Amino acid sequence: MLYQLSWTILFAPLLAFAVIIFGTRVWDLRSRPKVALPAAEHGHGEHHTDDHDTHAVTDEHGHGGHSEQDEDDDPHVPQLSAGAKASAYAALVIMALACIYSWVLLFSTVLHPADLAAAGKEVFAYNWLSVGGLNYIVGFHLDRLGIAMMVVVTTITFLVQFYSQGYMENSAGYARFYAYLSLFAFSMLVIVFAENFLVIFCGWELVGLSSYLLIGFWINKRAKPEEQRPSPASANLQAFIMNRIGDVGFILGIMILFVNTGSFDFIAVQHGVVHMDKTLLGIAMILVFCGAMGKSAQFPLHTWLPSAMEGPTPVSALIHAATMVAAGVYMIARTSPLFATAAPFAWEVVASIGAFTAFFAATIALVQSDFKRVLAFSTISQLGYMFVGLGVAGPEYGVGPGMFHLFTHAFFKALLFLGAGSVLHGLHHAMHKEVQDVRLMGGLASKMPITAATWLIAVLAISGFPGFSGFYSKEEIIGLALEQGHPVIYALTLATAGLTAFYMLRAFILAFGGKGGKFMGLWGGPYRGYGEVKESPLYMTIPLMLLVIPSVLAGYWTGFYQYVNVSAENVANLSIPALFQATDTWIGVIVSLVGLGFAWFLYGRVDLVKINQVVQSNAALRTIHRILFNRYYVDDLYNWIVKYVVLGLAALAQAFDRYIVDGIVNGVASGVTGTGSGIRRLETGRVQSYMIGFFGGVAVLAVVFVVLITTVWK
Amino acid sequence: MHLTLEHVLVLGAVLFCIGLYGAITKRNAIAVLMSIEIMLNAVNITMVGFSYFDTVKLYSQHLTGQIFAIFIITVAAAEAAVALAMVIAIYRKRATVDVGEIDMMKW
Repeated sequence: MLYQLSWTILFAPLLAFAVIIFGTRVWDLRSRPKVALPAAEHGHGEHHTDDHDTHAVTDEHGHGGHSEQDEDDDPHVPQLSAGAKASAYAALVIMALACIYSWVLLFSTVLHPADLAAAGKEVFAYNWLSVGGLNYIVGFHLDRLGIAMMVVVTTITFLVQFYSQGYMENSAGYARFYAYLSLFAFSMLVIVFAENFLVIFCGWELVGLSSYLLIGFWINKRAKPEEQRPSPASANLQAFIMNRIGDVGFILGIMILFVNTGSFDFIAVQHGVVHMDKTLLGIAMILVFCGAMGKSAQFPLHTWLPSAMEGPTPVSALIHAATMVAAGVYMIARTSPLFATAAPFAWEVVASIGAFTAFFAATIALVQSDFKRVLAFSTISQLGYMFVGLGVAGPEYGVGPGMFHLFTHAFFKALLFLGAGSVLHGLHHAMHKEVQDVRLMGGLASKMPITAATWLIAVLAISGFPGFSGFYSKEEIIGLALEQGHPVIYALTLATAGLTAFYMLRAFILAFGGKGGKFMGLWGGPYRGYGEVKESPLYMTIPLMLLVIPSVLAGYWTGFYQYVNVSAENVANLSIPALFQATDTWIGVIVSLVGLGFAWFLYGRVDLVKINQVVQSNAALRTIHRILFNRYYVDDLYNWIVKYVVLGLAALAQAFDRYIVDGIVNGVASGVTGTGSGIRRLETGRVQSYMIGFFGGVAVLAVVFVVLITTVWK
Repeated sequence: MHLTLEHVLVLGAVLFCIGLYGAITKRNAIAVLMSIEIMLNAVNITMVGFSYFDTVKLYSQHLTGQIFAIFIITVAAAEAAVALAMVIAIYRKRATVDVGEIDMMKW
């Protein structure tokens, strides 16, 4: 019964979405005073493409009295209406219940493993379509992998929604924001509960839609070319289109599997692929992995994720921790039996792309000056780790290592993003404009102690500092890469660990510390911005403090390996004592510590200006810095490809249509017209010329008949 | 020398050709009408000639050509009336009876 009703977790966010969209949001909009914007303000209002939000009294002067600098912002209301608050409470209450329910499921399956069969349990099935002996079932099932993911999704979503009460204060789109967050959670839960490829693909697309809506939430904001930042409206398009490219592969992979096994159902496909050609299956699985590459921002399709930073920061936290990028990893974990059946190159591709992306993104993150962008590239890098974990584990270790890193990463990455949001929120209040550049921060630790302390813990967790959750999950993956005989992947992931430690502590010191602060620059320091920065309200700091707990403790639950993959035999080796005894663990720790120490000595002891001078004065360093700062010019390459190749092909196609297709149609028409206008000259209107024609015809016929009569018909 | 069918037919043909020539070449609409009358009468002569020299000698067929000729004379009278009325109407409208200039029916 406890398990059978778990579909309520899935539909709870959908209910919240419906309640907000059809209930409280309407209430919110109706309660707003309808004030026609004066003509002078209309220039400001013309960017408000969301017509509902234009009913809001755009509170330019009430919000700190710096309207000229705030004009890029989303429209604000002087105070939230009861409807808007009710929207948030509806979403929060429903998500809290779902969250509690999923934790109950987690604890009951951990304490009583026998209650839920390893294969899981179907909790909801609706026969959508029956055609030619095939049943297309909208089916949801519950198993341990799903429960682990569900806990992450509901917990992070709940904390993000709680946090947004502070972050989205007085936003005119407050109710809409909560509706979208709920829709996002629902979309992700569809993927988590999905029983077959059809449903997972629907959830996949729903996630794409929700992320589109949320990344572009601040529709009025414009691009900032000087900071290399796109406008949210183009960033969400980029995310959507990049994901579509991956989805082409995904859907092709699903089709190959369907053609060869005759089913979409995971279990049926798993039984069916045993008879399939191993190479073909490998290709199908790589195509499926393409979908995951799009969603999880792996190397060729990674550029949307840094652009997605244009969304509100709680959304970034949600995307990066639980709902969007995790979908790719989860889907690969879900289909891992198929990968295991396929030719070995399938797993190798996954692991290689993961390892390369991890290293690639980490090098870019080294020099980024945008606070959120550092985190974006660290996410890409950590997702690479997860794919390495899935790819190198093999059937002996199963999906445990990769999923464990997803599990721990979700908490500390949510903490990092929510902390970053707290910083940006504080700076926005201090400087009355959006500041994301770390060069304008510094010394925030003494001004925002809670944010700084929680952030430091998250930095240590992601750096793999011993004792924090990231240490257990990451060192396990790095060790596994070596143990399973992938020296190159091992080297790349090991180097990435050092780089990760470096750039995370760099971001911490640049934002929160600085030369001259306490603890030799780690705490406090000179503030490079202006205005009075204050600690964020409790709405925002409570989720930070709560997230510290799993960021530290999640790594100690090594039963996770067994939990998500019962059939894997060797998971007993993945225990904490074994981890501490392994030599490569300590090599990884040393590399991380070197990275941390290097960052500390560089950014904690030396002035930022001096570092820049050194980098700029050395030709080699300058070149490397420029390449890394411009993200290896991948974005520019894509822009170039779109501009010249895609648009060139489009121009060719247009020319073909205009000159060849239209040419044929118009040519036929003008040929007929021309012939007609030539022939009409024969119509002189003179009766006598008609008469000549008539009698001439008669004469010709007469001659013909005479000849015929006298010769042929005689 | 007896009058034979050939004489009549040749007369009809010659008259028809004269009329045709006139109808095609004359610029004056009245002259064209006159030429058409000549052509009709050439046909009448031919009809009557066939009737007169009919070798089958059936009484009912004896008169067929004659009756045709009478009909044609009647129709020609009506046609002359209509055609002359038209010529007058055109003359009032355009102040000309030159058929080369009466080309309103083109295109």
